[in-house]
Amino acid sequence: MDRRDFLKDTAGTFAALTTLSPLLGAGPPARPDLAVVRGPSPERIVRAAVDALGGIRRFIAKGDVVVVKPNIGWDRRPEQAATTNPEVVATLVKLCFEAGARKVKVFDRTCNDARRCYVQSGIEAAARAAGAEVSFVDERRFREVPIPHGVAIKAWPIYIDLLEADKVISAPIAKHHGLCRLTLCHKNWMGVMGENRGRIHQRLDDTLVDISTVIKPAFTVLDAVRILTNHGPQGGDPADVRRLDTVIAGTDLVAIDAYGTTLFGLTGADIGYVREAARRGLGVMDLGRLSIRKFEA
Amino acid sequence: MLIWARRCTQGLFLLVFILLFLQTEQQGADQLGYPVKVFLDIDPLLALATLLSAHALAAGFLLSLALAGLTVVLGRVFCGWACPLGTLHNLMGALRRWRGPQRVRGWFRAKYLLLVFLLAGSAVGLQLTGLFDPLSLLARHLALGPYPAFNYAANSAMDAVYRVDRKALTLVAEPLFALLKKSVLAFQQPHFAQGSLLTALLLAILLLNLSERRFWCRYLCPLGALLGLLGRWAQLRREVAEGCNACGVCDRECQGGLAASRETGWISSECLYCMTCDDACPKNAVSFGFRGKPAPAALDLGRRRVLLAGGTGLAAVAVSRATPAFDRRANPGLLRPPGARPEPDFLARCVKCGECMKVCTTNGLQPTLLEAGLEGVWSPVLVPTRGYCEFNCTLCGQVCPTGAIQKLTPAAKTQWRIGTAMFDRGRCLPHAHATPCIVCEEVCPTPTKAIWFEEVVVRDRAGQAVTVKQPHVDLKLCIGCGICEAKCPIGDRPAVYVTSIGETRSRQNQMLLDDPGGYGS
Repeated sequence: MDRRDFLKDTAGTFAALTTLSPLLGAGPPARPDLAVVRGPSPERIVRAAVDALGGIRRFIAKGDVVVVKPNIGWDRRPEQAATTNPEVVATLVKLCFEAGARKVKVFDRTCNDARRCYVQSGIEAAARAAGAEVSFVDERRFREVPIPHGVAIKAWPIYIDLLEADKVISAPIAKHHGLCRLTLCHKNWMGVMGENRGRIHQRLDDTLVDISTVIKPAFTVLDAVRILTNHGPQGGDPADVRRLDTVIAGTDLVAIDAYGTTLFGLTGADIGYVREAARRGLGVMDLGRLSIRKFEA
Repeated sequence: MLIWARRCTQGLFLLVFILLFLQTEQQGADQLGYPVKVFLDIDPLLALATLLSAHALAAGFLLSLALAGLTVVLGRVFCGWACPLGTLHNLMGALRRWRGPQRVRGWFRAKYLLLVFLLAGSAVGLQLTGLFDPLSLLARHLALGPYPAFNYAANSAMDAVYRVDRKALTLVAEPLFALLKKSVLAFQQPHFAQGSLLTALLLAILLLNLSERRFWCRYLCPLGALLGLLGRWAQLRREVAEGCNACGVCDRECQGGLAASRETGWISSECLYCMTCDDACPKNAVSFGFRGKPAPAALDLGRRRVLLAGGTGLAAVAVSRATPAFDRRANPGLLRPPGARPEPDFLARCVKCGECMKVCTTNGLQPTLLEAGLEGVWSPVLVPTRGYCEFNCTLCGQVCPTGAIQKLTPAAKTQWRIGTAMFDRGRCLPHAHATPCIVCEEVCPTPTKAIWFEEVVVRDRAGQAVTVKQPHVDLKLCIGCGICEAKCPIGDRPAVYVTSIGETRSRQNQMLLDDPGGYGS
């Protein structure tokens, strides 16, 4: 064997090993299903989580119009953990621009007064500083979207800006909820639903999953920098807030929600809509079947 | 020359009034950031009435003293140069051409008698002053009538263009709409009960200018009357020099309707100090200065008339209070804003300026008609089906000029009870119809939710077991903000509703033994 052959063979073997390594269990998997990152800086953990998923360029292309959809639903401050952490939102906005996005829009159809929610949550200021176009929901801009596989609803008006975006990034916060126990990724879409949303509570689990069959985000970052463990979804009592300094990122909504439940000492099967979404094959609820990369940053 | 200086000044004051009016709106922060009620603060009539009726100093008491002091020296310059309603009267009056001499009528005394009537009432706790005070009147009528109408017109015009959906049109219209929204339009379309009535009344007052210029200011304005009394011995006086040939031009031009050409005709109390006569005099004989003779024509109101007006004011108190509104039983629908004082004190202070209704985040504060008695007309009441009380918002207390609604700290606000919510179980979905819902619990804002639920297995018509969460109210935690009522999916008559029972401001309107006013431990 001469030197050239040796080099060729070594390179070949190396290439083969690198390609096969996830299967062989050698080294970390290239792309985990979930990235769970913990650390004191929301910006750093969001960046690390997105990098672990393959980097922002995997999801956002040059020239994209992107919607980053946080939870701005309540007139609460970030430390009350009822709305998405503003730094998490701002970091996602920055990442989009770094990938060459043309425009990043941030909005939510709020429950409390929108002006107070946008200001008090800190999201308007943070997202705008990062370059996003932050706007209030315009009640004229909803379009009825058919939900062919809907179980509880067959159509619903959805916000046009979301429908027309090239990419959507979902950025909910993990919270307690009186009716469905926890509000995680699935419930984030309530903020783009028009008309009288209150009625969906009559079949909440089915409706949330129905909506998830028609809105497909590029990826999701579940904010667990602070979580609200009781009296959700609004909270207000500092005793109900726990600081976890964590974000969970991935592309499988069911998987993220299933992991999210563990932050509250539950499992995916405890939550009706997670169970229902898994049953309908929208994603994987069984954490044992997922590759989860958990690290600190 | 002078006339243009005056017009510019008037325009400036009107502009400031309108800008502050537009700023009287939720911006998202806890504080408004602008002194939006400054025109009400400087008003000495409101300050005096509050002092008499509530024995309290209005927030702007010192500012109002400044205007009073200014008037003592300079006369009614405020009327001629600053009053925004006066300026609107000027504009209306300009719609007609005026020829020939003006009639001079004794009716100018009416406003002084109205003032005596109002202040006599105030002295025994009847606060009707705000209904006639020009600044309170303008703020109220603009906010509740024309401004919502203007918003409706602009919004529907823009909506129509939007629905046409032609790209070229939308490209122009939408940025324009965004600009309008940012500058002059309300964040959301306001709707007020009696909006059209209030518009009609304002219009009627303005149309009076077509019969006589500044009709309101000459015959009706109680603030003008008060300033007239203060300016009776004003140092700034009208002087007529030698050259006067009594041509009567000044009479014809006089905004105050004085027969000024005759030396005795000029009454400092009635002069608006608009100085039109100075400009108009062909002989340049008329001027205003500080050297004139200190003997202005007397202002004779007539003792009997004054006594009658005062007596009527006193009698009005008794008459207005012998109605069911003043029965001891509280009105369940009278949900006063957070921080409102006990009803008698509240009524003694509220000047019905409409600021709280204009600023209300959700449009939930609406004007009463007769629910609070005749003296409570156009006072604010929360109508949760129109809009709930935003948990962290304290704006109504911030803009109240007389402290009828106290300024609350954010912490105190979130503890303040407007009333108490209760369920109508016959309409509630989980209680009566085997259907999950619990929106009320979701939106309930107290840190430990006042609405709690019980998981109950019920049967539907087919006999199927259905697990529902049935909501209940914790009477100790509910603050009566009404968000549950506002967001209940049973929109027409919600299955949960707030009444005034348990309101923080009342010792009597309580239900529990250990409520304030009870004797529980």
